[in-house]
Amino acid sequence: MALRASVQRVSRTLPRLMAQAGAARGMATEKQIFNQIQSTKNIKKITSSMKMVSAAKLKGDETRLELAKPFNEWTNALCGKPVHLDDLENITYEELPQKTLIVPITSDKGLCGGVNSFISRSVRDAIGKINAQGKECDVVIIGDKGRSQMSRSFPEKILRTATDIQAPGNFNLAAALSAELTAAGAMNYDAVMIVYNSYVNAAVYHQYYKVIKPMAVEGEGESMVEYEFEPDVKSEIMGDLYEYMLTSQIYYCFMDGAAAEQSSRMTAMENASKNAGEMIDTLTLQYNRARQARITTELIEIISGASALEG
Amino acid sequence: MQRAILRQISTSSRSAMRRSFSSAAAAAEESSTAGMTLNFNLPHETIYSGAKVEQVIVPGAAGEYGVTANHVPLVAQLKPGVLQILHAGTNEPEKYFVAGGFSITHPNSTTDISCPEAVKLDDIDSTAVTSAYEAAKAAFSSAEAGSRASAEAQIDMEVNKAMAAAIGITL
Repeated sequence: MALRASVQRVSRTLPRLMAQAGAARGMATEKQIFNQIQSTKNIKKITSSMKMVSAAKLKGDETRLELAKPFNEWTNALCGKPVHLDDLENITYEELPQKTLIVPITSDKGLCGGVNSFISRSVRDAIGKINAQGKECDVVIIGDKGRSQMSRSFPEKILRTATDIQAPGNFNLAAALSAELTAAGAMNYDAVMIVYNSYVNAAVYHQYYKVIKPMAVEGEGESMVEYEFEPDVKSEIMGDLYEYMLTSQIYYCFMDGAAAEQSSRMTAMENASKNAGEMIDTLTLQYNRARQARITTELIEIISGASALEG
Repeated sequence: MQRAILRQISTSSRSAMRRSFSSAAAAAEESSTAGMTLNFNLPHETIYSGAKVEQVIVPGAAGEYGVTANHVPLVAQLKPGVLQILHAGTNEPEKYFVAGGFSITHPNSTTDISCPEAVKLDDIDSTAVTSAYEAAKAAFSSAEAGSRASAEAQIDMEVNKAMAAAIGITL
């Protein structure tokens, strides 16, 4: 009787001791693995729903971008083509004038893949090269993520940042942004350089930069010589035209950046869901092994307890 | 001998010029029968892209003017007013109310008109215009003179007045 009671006590405490021994050895217990599996499943649900939301938003952003392109067509003749930042080694920025205002367009929200890091890297590289050429530059950042990444590298160059931008953007937003640039002194710079991501398709986006220079009203390099101006004061109209052109360019680059951000977020969330799924598979195998080990241990105790009773 | 050569050079250059003038005229003939090309774009909508039209009447800041093929290249700031597009073969122009923007006519008979906002005249609601005008007038009188709010209210009033004139109601 005393023997059976002691065996029962041992058979009850033994699994707990075994589990504790297992945990002490660094192997997760069955309960812990189970909790891990549950939380990974939750994460997978969240990331896959974020992916679907991004896919839906991407559709809207793509349409807006398609409409923004013909709207901005007329500025290409006056501003020149955007330059593809494919290999940072080869970009020299030699064509920039003495004082440039750099405007990188980044996102406010995270979980969007590498869009913002690419822009931050390009701007850092640009500032280094521009300063090495003896020219000056300052930065006005659009987007909170850009601010957090760039304020660590060159805080003294950042004039202002624009954050908490309501998506989706429209022309009023672009007008407000260009008013902010003017308030930051954009008219005193020789050029404004917009650095942005350009959407190609759901899997691909590139970085580009565009240089927008105020047009010379007289002297050599006078732009739009063959055009008449109405009303007659060319300098006034050129000033207004420059502001309008800047707003139109910011609108287009913002739309492009927004579409690139959504496509990148969609890809990032899809990868996260896939990784979560793989993790769940590995953990489930571990869980089953732990569960079987526990059952085997219980069986062994019962059998050894029973055989000890018999004799 | 040299004078003969010079005379030869001058006559050949003159005939070359004549030839180039005539080819320019021929090109002008061709493009004027083809009409002018219009690009009329809003940020959220492309109304016309590369459309061939007969004439466009543009509400410039200094006054309305018409653009046909081979018009002198011109950059004009637009004031709130009516933009009329006359298509080939029609008598009635298509009318849009534009709130501002720019019109650039290029040497190749292409005109780019870019406006932040434009509506067809048929789509303008007269009651909405009247109430917006009244609200703008109230805002203007209550705003401090020379302030940003006063300037915005004044712009609001002008645009609504132009819209009212465009659809034919008096305010």
